[in-house]
Amino acid sequence: MSQEKMEHLFSSGHTACAGCGQSMAARLVIDAAGPNTIIANNTGCLEVFSTKYPETAWGVPWIHSLFENCGAVSSGIEAALKYLGTKDKINIICQAGDGGTADIGLQALSGMWERGHDILSICYDNEAYMNCLSISSLIMTKDGLKNILDIKVGDEVAAFDQKTYQLVYKKCSGVFDNGIQDVYELKTRHHSVKATANHPFLVLKRQGRGKQNIFVWKTLEQAAIGDEVVAMKNAAVEKTYEFAFQKVEKGDYKVNKINPMEIPSQTSPELMEYLGLYVGDGWTREDRGEVGFAIPDSTPERERLLELHTHLFGNHLRKDDMYVYIGSVNLARFIDSLKFNKGAKNKTIPDWIFTLPQEQREAFIEGLMLSDGYKFGNSWRFVSASCDLLKRLRLLAQITGFQAGKIHWQTVKAGRVCVKRKLLKDTGFGYVCMSKRAKPQIQKYASQYRWRNFLIDNEYYDTEKVTEINYVGKEPTLDLRVEDEHNFVADGIVVHNTGIQRSGLTPFDANTTTTPLGVKSAGNPRPKKPMPEIAVAHGIPYVATASAGYPLDLQKKVKKAISIKGPKYLQIHVPCPLGWRHDSKYTWDVAKLAVETGLYPMFEYENGKLANVRKLSVVKPVEEYLKVQGRFKHLLSNPELVKQIQAVADNNIQKYGLKAEQAVQAPAETIKETKG
Amino acid sequence: MREFLEGSRAVAEAVRMCKPGVISAYPITPQTHIVEELASMAARGSLNAQCVNVESEHSAASVVLGASAAGVRSFTATSSQGLLLMAEVVFCIAGMRFPVVMTCANRAISAPINIWNDHQDAITVRDSGWIQIHAETIQEAMDMHILAYRIAESPKIMLPVMVNMDGFILTHGLETVDVPTDEQVEKFLPSYKPLYKLDVDNPISLGLLADPDYYMETRFAINETHKDVLKLIPMVNDEFSKVFGRTCGGLVEEYKTKDAEKVIVAMGSVCGTIKDVIDQMRAKGKKVGLLRIVSYRPFPIAAIYQALKDVPKVAVLEKAVSLGSYGPLLAEVRSVFCGKKKAPAISGFVIGLGGRDITVDSIKEVYKKLTTKEITEEYIDLKPELLEESI
Repeated sequence: MSQEKMEHLFSSGHTACAGCGQSMAARLVIDAAGPNTIIANNTGCLEVFSTKYPETAWGVPWIHSLFENCGAVSSGIEAALKYLGTKDKINIICQAGDGGTADIGLQALSGMWERGHDILSICYDNEAYMNCLSISSLIMTKDGLKNILDIKVGDEVAAFDQKTYQLVYKKCSGVFDNGIQDVYELKTRHHSVKATANHPFLVLKRQGRGKQNIFVWKTLEQAAIGDEVVAMKNAAVEKTYEFAFQKVEKGDYKVNKINPMEIPSQTSPELMEYLGLYVGDGWTREDRGEVGFAIPDSTPERERLLELHTHLFGNHLRKDDMYVYIGSVNLARFIDSLKFNKGAKNKTIPDWIFTLPQEQREAFIEGLMLSDGYKFGNSWRFVSASCDLLKRLRLLAQITGFQAGKIHWQTVKAGRVCVKRKLLKDTGFGYVCMSKRAKPQIQKYASQYRWRNFLIDNEYYDTEKVTEINYVGKEPTLDLRVEDEHNFVADGIVVHNTGIQRSGLTPFDANTTTTPLGVKSAGNPRPKKPMPEIAVAHGIPYVATASAGYPLDLQKKVKKAISIKGPKYLQIHVPCPLGWRHDSKYTWDVAKLAVETGLYPMFEYENGKLANVRKLSVVKPVEEYLKVQGRFKHLLSNPELVKQIQAVADNNIQKYGLKAEQAVQAPAETIKETKG
Repeated sequence: MREFLEGSRAVAEAVRMCKPGVISAYPITPQTHIVEELASMAARGSLNAQCVNVESEHSAASVVLGASAAGVRSFTATSSQGLLLMAEVVFCIAGMRFPVVMTCANRAISAPINIWNDHQDAITVRDSGWIQIHAETIQEAMDMHILAYRIAESPKIMLPVMVNMDGFILTHGLETVDVPTDEQVEKFLPSYKPLYKLDVDNPISLGLLADPDYYMETRFAINETHKDVLKLIPMVNDEFSKVFGRTCGGLVEEYKTKDAEKVIVAMGSVCGTIKDVIDQMRAKGKKVGLLRIVSYRPFPIAAIYQALKDVPKVAVLEKAVSLGSYGPLLAEVRSVFCGKKKAPAISGFVIGLGGRDITVDSIKEVYKKLTTKEITEEYIDLKPELLEESI
């Protein structure tokens, strides 16, 4: 690099997130377009982080007014320059995010194209409408606890029978994506659930002495502190889980000696305790054929582990002061197949554990407590770095005869000493407290108990008082429709399904499977709006896609676009580390992977004809792109969904002829695992 | 030169003489002939302006916002639903201090859909920061556009102006008007020299994010500027009379209020009818008068106080409602006298909503109803039989 001072027309010092793909692309665009450019910007990230009064990052004349009108504002500027006779000397760019381009801003943009203004419109496409699916509700189903995103039509979900107050399982008949909405958190002493203000909850209405109490539906908005909502305490399904694990035989693996280890075919209390220990302190390394436990020597935990292991699997282990190692490909693969996830921050409790018999669930919790738990009499505390694990443990404990308090979560800054070492980066961890529920003496103090908990003698449900309702922020929301009872159990609390209000009006066929965390063109059953094609259909002279991962190509396209008279459209794929949940240093790699897998084809249309495509000499599998992003983490466990996304990429490859003559399918080894 | 012109065409003629560089509007009903006429002037070559035919009112307002930001005088016209669709941009134009001039052909708001005249559209965006002036006649509507640019572009003001003229009654009515000459307009209205604009030689950013540390001051500044507008309008009006030989309304117009016992306060074309009634009643010896509010925003509090302080009975007659409260004009006129020792009895009447005819008899009825007892909201010419039906 030369030593001369670099002058940019989009200067640093703005307030974008680290690794923001949009700010990278914006600088590339304006540097390519040059100083004789006027920019009209829609409301959006770029506008907010670059021009907070009294500062501005822009070295060219720049204007913003609303979310959706930059197509029209730039038309006005162009008309004014034509009137002044200076248009030929000045470029006009109107730029927006994907919402400001494809959704709310489409009308003004379409008008601008149709009128033929000499303007380059740029879309910084960060797929933001689909990104922050922190749709975190956990739904109790007959097959265990599931994330609301994984619920499919036909799944039987737990519901509250409003006549008998019993637990029933009812078929889910619809799943609806309700978009991004204001979300509130309702908390009781033992539960918390996030919902929109208009979501109804089942609330106890006390009618007074001598009268029958009833349950009524109240929206979260109407609900008040002290209202009693219905919470689940027993899931009623008790079935031993059968594993469908295929053992690796000699010759299937890189070594020719395989430990003759017996893998159990179904769950048992001992196995569950063992797995509890694994979730707390264990790891697997499938490539080495190794399972390990970080449990120091001469502790009761180590003793119990050895006892369990010997009993379950025989004695194939190695020990040192700190660790216990088991060399077995089969055991490693078996444990991996149980979906506990890897890494302390990602460990979780899979769905199937929630439907095990009581005894086995208790054994699992015992195992967890042995690893990272602390017992003070009947007060138990479990510590973990995985928020998901704590959330699920809290619900598991609730239906296994425990009361569980709230999750205490804290983040510790890098540098703090923790277990004799300084933390290298900011770390989050938390704990949840629980205690065994005492059996109430209902005969003796019947009315007192009922006053505290109207459903005290109900086998499946409790009533709990609302302690807090807080605004959380804007989050994507989903909703279910459930047959007959029209309610379901979300995060342990009975809520009304709201899909029913729409059922008569809209054909939901297209909507009946959960939108699986769609990347725009990947996974979402409703494909992304084909903006480039829509632009081409307007008969404009130049339409292209580009990526923040290919800066030279991007700048070349900007220069080409402004050299052409008339309306132009350039759509730039810009990763958003915050929304896509990838490490900020991977922005470039993520952008490149989208192109290299075929998910984001780069092409140019000139005068309505496909003129150029960026050929791929190596076509990577879509998993590579999905794996580096937190937003797709849950997706990878479902090969069906990955296959669908691969199909989108394959379709792009075929449609645009992306494959170079000697293209090869890349092996899937170079994949980076996402962290956090 | 005196010509017999339709209101819309007269306004188009005035706008042409103001030489705007960019004109943009969306031609849906309820719209007027103003923009059509301007477009044909541009086609004929008598107007050197860029006409942008947009796909919605929202974009029409956005185009003039962009053009004004680029330093060019710009014009748009709208009405009713169109103004409401623009509302978002209307606030923006004022907030960004662009001296756009817009004609609003005042019409009713849906639902039910109704394309006839009342003032609900303009009243709905009264808090946007725009200067709002109301014309009584076609002549005045024409003159007001010339005046509007002069006020809007004053370096001390830099605020948009909405010239309100009653839909159909003025926009589609015909009247003999005195059309000013190009020389007169040139003399009165210098060419636009923007204080700030999008300029590649001197780049600035417009429309920045103002956090809680800065936002409030922007609103305060607009409010202060409105006080300056109150001082400016009479001065510019005097200048206008010197050049054109007639006034252009000023802040308020007093018609036979000096010794009046009963005065109607009103805005817009209905004032013509009221003046006729006053002349008839004065002939019979009844002391009645009219206070016409020309500038609705800024609201001329001092002028109204001066005009009405010695009048015992006042009727506020308005073509808009604030459903669930007093009529908007009634509330404001009453607030002028709030806490003052000398306060007239001020009654409120709603009239002519959705284009219902306002006859001489209707106005006479208002004067008749005006006693010392204050009436808060009475609808004139209401049809009780329709209400019974609907119940």
